[in-house]
Amino acid sequence: MSETLFDLKNVRKYFTRGAEEIHVFDGLNLEIEKGDFVAIMGPSGSGKTTLLNMLGGVDQPTDGEISFSGDRIDNLSEGALANWRATNIGFIFQFYNLMPMLSAARNVELPLLLTNLSAKQRKENVATALELVDLADRTTHKPREMSGGQQQRVAIARAIVSDPKMLLCDEPTGDLDRETADEILSMLQLLNRDFGKTIVMVTHDPLAAKYAKRILHLDKGNFISEEVD
Amino acid sequence: MKIIAQIWTVMVMNIRSLPQRLWMSLAAVLAVAVVIFVLLAFLAMANGFNQTLSGTGSEDIAIVTRDGSQSELNSVISRDGVNIISTAEGIAKDKNGNPIYSAELYVVVDGIKRTTGTEVNIPLRGISSSGVSLRDQVTIIEGRMFESGKNELMIGSSALREFSGFELGREVTFGKTKWKVVGVFSTGGSVFESEVWADARTVQTQFRRGSSFQTMRMRLANTGDITALEKLIEADPRLNFNVETEAKYYAEQGNALSGIVIFGWAVSIVMGAGALAGALNTMFTSVSARTTEIATLRAIGFSNTSAFMGTLFESVVLSLIGGIAGTTLAFAALDGLSASTLSAGFTQVVFTFELSPDLFATGIKLALAIGFIGGFFPAWRAARMPVVKAFG
Amino acid sequence: MGDLYLVFKNLTRKKMRLALTLFATFIAFMIFGTISAFQSALDSGVELSADDRLITVNKINFTQPLPIAYYNRVRTVDGIVEVTHLNWFGGYYQDPKNFLPMMAVNENTFLKVYNELVLTDEEEAAWKGNRQGLIVGENAARQYGWKKGDRIPINSNIFSQKDGTTSWDFTIEAVYTGEQEQTDTSGLYFHYKYFNETQSFGGNYIGWMGVRTADPARNGEVIKAIDDMFVNSPFETETVPEKAFNQAFLAQIGNLGLILSSVIFAAFFIILVIVGNSMILAIRERTSEIAVLKTIGFKSGRIFAMVLSESIFLALMGGGLGLLASFGLIELFNGSGVAQLPTLVLKPHIIMQSLMFMLLLGGITGIFPAITAQRLNIISALSRH
Repeated sequence: MSETLFDLKNVRKYFTRGAEEIHVFDGLNLEIEKGDFVAIMGPSGSGKTTLLNMLGGVDQPTDGEISFSGDRIDNLSEGALANWRATNIGFIFQFYNLMPMLSAARNVELPLLLTNLSAKQRKENVATALELVDLADRTTHKPREMSGGQQQRVAIARAIVSDPKMLLCDEPTGDLDRETADEILSMLQLLNRDFGKTIVMVTHDPLAAKYAKRILHLDKGNFISEEVD
Repeated sequence: MKIIAQIWTVMVMNIRSLPQRLWMSLAAVLAVAVVIFVLLAFLAMANGFNQTLSGTGSEDIAIVTRDGSQSELNSVISRDGVNIISTAEGIAKDKNGNPIYSAELYVVVDGIKRTTGTEVNIPLRGISSSGVSLRDQVTIIEGRMFESGKNELMIGSSALREFSGFELGREVTFGKTKWKVVGVFSTGGSVFESEVWADARTVQTQFRRGSSFQTMRMRLANTGDITALEKLIEADPRLNFNVETEAKYYAEQGNALSGIVIFGWAVSIVMGAGALAGALNTMFTSVSARTTEIATLRAIGFSNTSAFMGTLFESVVLSLIGGIAGTTLAFAALDGLSASTLSAGFTQVVFTFELSPDLFATGIKLALAIGFIGGFFPAWRAARMPVVKAFG
Repeated sequence: MGDLYLVFKNLTRKKMRLALTLFATFIAFMIFGTISAFQSALDSGVELSADDRLITVNKINFTQPLPIAYYNRVRTVDGIVEVTHLNWFGGYYQDPKNFLPMMAVNENTFLKVYNELVLTDEEEAAWKGNRQGLIVGENAARQYGWKKGDRIPINSNIFSQKDGTTSWDFTIEAVYTGEQEQTDTSGLYFHYKYFNETQSFGGNYIGWMGVRTADPARNGEVIKAIDDMFVNSPFETETVPEKAFNQAFLAQIGNLGLILSSVIFAAFFIILVIVGNSMILAIRERTSEIAVLKTIGFKSGRIFAMVLSESIFLALMGGGLGLLASFGLIELFNGSGVAQLPTLVLKPHIIMQSLMFMLLLGGITGIFPAITAQRLNIISALSRH
């Protein structure tokens, strides 16, 4: 019954910094199945964010293959990748990255501008997404009029509004207090459990990682251990 | 003293951080420079024109024209008129006891402006040797003086520079008569240098003026004193003339470009408002880029006066740089530039753009004004910055 | 919500900067509109000059006279429809400062040569019938508050009457209008006979002649015929098309075109620098937002278009307001009656030019930020936090 969503084979990622060549990944293999909730942990510089960027198609491996639902994405053009992201990936960032001049509803609507939905449909979808994150009463608020937790919930609504298969979260609770962080994490858990979203979450926080189904520990470009919930 | 040390610290900090906002600061500087350049271009033009004309008139010379004629071209004085006026008290006498005066004609002929190739009005002055001696600093640069009774011309060096058709040795035709250019003269940059001179009697004959003249110039016995002449003219109803010192006559004509000055100021102030927008933009950005720094200094205990003064200073310095660049550029590109325009006398006056120290000061003042206003409001914002921003 | 909504929201997020940038653009286009209108008014004397009209002047200079006898001789030249003659009067009203472009003309032929002056047949007949009759352009009439039927004294700064006075009496028989909006209506015209018989200098001289030809194509032939007729006489003539004459006269004042164009250029240069700088800054501040849009799946081309339309939108807004203001200024100027200039008009070509410059300004100031935004690398942009 398990279906592989992401399949990374022998992925290498090198950076050059000055004269030095840094090997972030040197033959990384990873499979992520549909419906999984993976937390990736590791110290700074271990390649967590690079891995997330490669999964999201905003960064490409130096060598190796990355497939999504059996199709290679590591050799797609920039334009094709943009299309692919628009349909398949929802991003959630540590600092929410909402547009400051747009209301919550407009922020959530952004990804729908990339679809062919009518204005009315878009509005409905936005309302559904905002209801799901429990912000139906905050639709006209600007980001600066909301708390960090609320902003992150708007960001989650934005990530799920176009109904992507995959959510990629980069330290989603890194800027939040414990209580709010738990709220956000529960919400992610719910999206994973009840809506079947596959989630990959990079985090520093062991408590946050506990919400995932499995935790991967990354160090110097290798998984050193794996815990399964 | 403490406050001055504080202001100094903030200033140094601001100036040191300028390179981070290099392009934006350069833009503000450039905008101010262009405004100042434009202003000075107009002012230098009007100033040069004015200098040329007011430099022409002498307080020792009186000029008589027909009343209401407004310019030499429109004036006319009969031989009789000349004779009567020459008897007036107040005219200096030569060693033989004869009054020193010159009756002159002023007709317009065509020349070709070198820069445009179009026909322009050149004044041809009929003059005698006494007329030449009434002008200071007349020197023959090339060739010789015209001979009386002959169809000979000499041309002023400014006219020769700007207009073609009267080169030395050239033959010129006016109607049926042929004239030869025999000399080039200089009068030290005055209006007369824009003229062509010929023998007065010959001009009378060739231009069918009979025995009439157009203007009369005389050396005054007492500098600037024309009361005796005025009395004579007033007393005799046949004498429908106007007398004034040459200095006054040309000073009035020198203001002919005052419209240009007004236009120049209007344009520069409007453009200055545009540059001000640029300066404000730069300074507001500068303040917001330094929010943390300013708030931190305030948290340490710096006064808000120092934040205010520091920002104002930055703006004024930037504008000053722009002002200096604008004036320097104006000086390099415009000072001494030769031009000509149609004067009140309906003929071309050749003049050069002239940037005086006064104009430099004016340019710098305008730049400082832009800098001050452009810095004031952002400085106000900096001074009122809440200290808590340091911890944000 | 569409892309335009995003563009608009981006544009208006920093009110102060928007206001300042708009103001700078506003200034530039206000200067452009107003000065262009002036320039076009200055040029209108050249532009509106009739192709079939020639000016015959003394070859020495146009201020030198011609004998009146030339008038009848020129009338015999083949290819001519009508000839008239004019004398500069040097008129002023009350104060020498109120100088008037006033000419003594042949009243029978003047309006046939200068047929762009519009008056009724009755007015024309009344003017021709009154030796002291004067026709006045509506611009001059407005300036001095004259109307038809007024009796006015006018002085000359050149001529005097035989009794020594310099004042002549006239009756205004018509206030003429121009055939076109920019036709010069500041001139005053009266009978040559009245002038010639009353003035004290040597009479029977005219200033110059206006010649209407049958066909502009025959101008060359007519010019040669006229000038050849008087060659080797004490009064040689020089005949030129009216357009060339007006152009040369304007050039005597100086290179006004260059001065005005330089001012416009300087204004645009300033604004280009200010607006360009402001756009670069605006995009730099938005780096991470643009990166997020790209991450979500917005394509580079679309982001490029959004940034570019933002700057074009800005230029159109500020420029439109500036043009509107110049329109107001021009109306104010026309109403003030201080100008010795034809009516100032914001002609369609000026408006088209402004629109083009707005697009150009928007394009130039937006293109580099747009390219920056288009090329923005998501990873480095997002890792700046």
